[in-house]
Amino acid sequence: MIRTVRTLSVALLVPAALAAQASPGKDTTYLIRGGTVVTGTGERLPNTDILVRAGRIAQVGPNISAPQARVIDAKGKFIYPGMIDANTGIGLQEIGGVQTMSLRSEVGQFNPHIRALVALNVESEILGVTRMNGVTSVVTTPTGGTISGQAALINTAGWTWEDLAVARNAGTVFNLPGAGGGRGRGGGGGGRGAAPATAATMAELEAFMRAAKDYATQRDAGSAKLDLIYESMRPLFKKDVPALIPANTEAQIRQAIDFGEKWGLRTVVIGGREAWKVRQVLAQKNVPVVLGPVQAAPEDNQPYDEIYAQPAILNEAGVKFAFSTGNGANARHVPFHAALAIGYGLPEDVALKALTIWPAEIFGAQKEIGSIAQGKLANFFIASGDPFDLRTQIDGIFIKGRDVPDDDRQHRLWDKYKNRPKAVITP
Amino acid sequence: MRIRITDQSTRAALATALFSLAIGTPPLAAQDVAIRNATIITITNGDIQNGTIVVRNGKISAVGQNVSIPVGIRVIDGTGTFVMPGIIDAHSHAALENGINEGAESVTPEVQVQLKNDDPVIYRALAGGVTAANLLHGSANTIGGQARVIKMRWGMPADSMYFKGAYRIVKFALGENVTRASSTTPADEKRFPATRMGVDFTLHYWFEKAKEYDKEWQDYRAGVKTNPNLIMPRRDLRLEALTEILHGDLKVHAHSYRQDEILMLIRAADDLGFKISTFQHVLEGYKVADEIRQHGASASTFADMWAYKVEAWDAIPYNMALMTERGVLVSVNSDSDERIRRLYQEAGVGVRYGNMPVNEALKMITLNPAKQLGVDKMVGSLEVGKDGDIAVFSAHPFSPNTMVDYTIVDGKVLFDRSQSTTLRKLVTTANPGGAP
Repeated sequence: MIRTVRTLSVALLVPAALAAQASPGKDTTYLIRGGTVVTGTGERLPNTDILVRAGRIAQVGPNISAPQARVIDAKGKFIYPGMIDANTGIGLQEIGGVQTMSLRSEVGQFNPHIRALVALNVESEILGVTRMNGVTSVVTTPTGGTISGQAALINTAGWTWEDLAVARNAGTVFNLPGAGGGRGRGGGGGGRGAAPATAATMAELEAFMRAAKDYATQRDAGSAKLDLIYESMRPLFKKDVPALIPANTEAQIRQAIDFGEKWGLRTVVIGGREAWKVRQVLAQKNVPVVLGPVQAAPEDNQPYDEIYAQPAILNEAGVKFAFSTGNGANARHVPFHAALAIGYGLPEDVALKALTIWPAEIFGAQKEIGSIAQGKLANFFIASGDPFDLRTQIDGIFIKGRDVPDDDRQHRLWDKYKNRPKAVITP
Repeated sequence: MRIRITDQSTRAALATALFSLAIGTPPLAAQDVAIRNATIITITNGDIQNGTIVVRNGKISAVGQNVSIPVGIRVIDGTGTFVMPGIIDAHSHAALENGINEGAESVTPEVQVQLKNDDPVIYRALAGGVTAANLLHGSANTIGGQARVIKMRWGMPADSMYFKGAYRIVKFALGENVTRASSTTPADEKRFPATRMGVDFTLHYWFEKAKEYDKEWQDYRAGVKTNPNLIMPRRDLRLEALTEILHGDLKVHAHSYRQDEILMLIRAADDLGFKISTFQHVLEGYKVADEIRQHGASASTFADMWAYKVEAWDAIPYNMALMTERGVLVSVNSDSDERIRRLYQEAGVGVRYGNMPVNEALKMITLNPAKQLGVDKMVGSLEVGKDGDIAVFSAHPFSPNTMVDYTIVDGKVLFDRSQSTTLRKLVTTANPGGAP
């Protein structure tokens, strides 16, 4: 409660007995009263209350009565759904330069069976830093090989990886042979670098896909012995989970779309630096794009504003997309990536969708997160304004109905050295 | 070959300018421009609502609410826009030719970076409102090479881009880069110093030598007046550059991360008799802000880069606010061909984290870097008599719905969004609806 008490500077109407019971680990009933609720699905509801119970949003509306709830006065504030960074390495990597802290790539070519979720470092300092800017969920993807493994969609606060999980299997990452990633100057993001020389060939991948598909057919008919590797491919063929395919150039994006169609996968393009060139195809085939960083520079022969202006162009063409940083440490800046897109023509409410409900839909978690609506996880933040404006202050963060204290590493260092006594220097 | 579609308008403008020169028309007339009815962020004298700014002969001739615009000059209607001083990047490696590190030895103040004036990053920085930059040597050496401070005079020859009157700056470096702690490049073989301890010693070793060298020359210059037969000391360009540091003629910009190394360099400089002008990066500057201020150094930092290596683990975005509160002059820099395009966002991070006053944050990309580069008499604020280096934003630079409409250098409009090749123009002409 530190943050809420301090920054909202409003007396909490909390009975002493209830206050004593409250702890970040317990499910407390909260009433967020009188703020402007921006739902993330297009509505702005002034003077609206949010009732939080058992980790979920129990009710959204005016004048909610909840005598047992801790009341947080949000008058004059805005409540936004928690934002989602749709592609990061959070939980798998900590300090970039330290190899043992960056275990994101498994050895071998075909690893559809390995799972990011079970390897997430719940005490990662990056989780704490990320959530303090209102980013309450991230997708963590494995990298490397031809089929890298299964991504996880997680919250940025929790006690265990099970507690973090929103979608345990948020999709399987494919690095198509020959596709590489290509990077813009200063980082184009997604599918970084060309595939290594040891990468599988397209023929090897096709053979693997054929065998996996045959297995799935036999398994459905009850006629195959369990094979853990092929078994992990079955949700892909059922389109229960998406195939996450890094692709940045026009050719790579077309290759990704064709590959997904050929094998009956639900394709999500990751990166999509030149998605604007194939926006008609993406829209017609309902292939969404997890955009690489907007804080990036284009190739030398492209318009200077290519990456900033692309989200607006995609939106007008009817392409669904999500924002991502592709990174761990600065996932919290994902609203600032969106801000650049707003500057170059993307409507602000669409930018918010691309940080909330659209990524939730892309990863099949729209029943759990992505908007402020009854029944969803209580993931939201209270702020003085919109999250895209750099002058806005974030006043409070709720994840799974818990009021998250601002106790992340950077706040701790800030508090410590803010209070350093003036140095007495004796050279 | 690089084909650039982004610079056509500038090339056309340049061609026009050259043509004017050829037929003897003074090009100065084309440099007179006024922006009216804008919010003018002066930096030094507050914000002016419904303001007008006039640039004549490359210099700001008037700024205020009740300013008359001379007849016949170009007038930009600034309704709704925010006009601020051209942004200054105190740390960049853009537009440099053939490498930024003379990495064979760890002490090389005698070398200087070489400008590559047709790097499209210059144009793209202009498109982000940047009008000047400090192009530094890399961080491979304890004492690296000399920098070039340039104005973003896109389309001009290299030697016309140098910012006359700017400090001469030399790069120092501390920590992981100079010790090659994490280098995996085969060419980067271990050399002395490979530890922070060795860096401290290297500084002492070379500056003691430089002091001896300096004394030899002073003795010679004094002695030769009475004894013309005195033999001149052998000239050593490396030691000569170090003596320039000792005399304050060459300003030190020191790449640094951790508080121990920052304090080490301050004490080494105190002992050896020179000053650190600006700590670069200075990610843990917030831990030793009092010591930095007391030494008289300033700080140029990242808005928020952390966790990419061990020495960046304690970096916090509140660094800017904390150092400013403790009285250190702070700028925020790019050190990147990407971030140089949106330094206004980087400055705004200081408002989001640490709640810096808005104009204090804007100072970090205008007046404060100008001071660090020794050009604050000429640029960094919108005042009469200063250079006509101006960025025009479509909305407040910290608001999301903003972009740069115009960037003006010495009164010349070198970026005009309406004349540039944009993605919007491309998709509505070359690729309407997208390829099937």
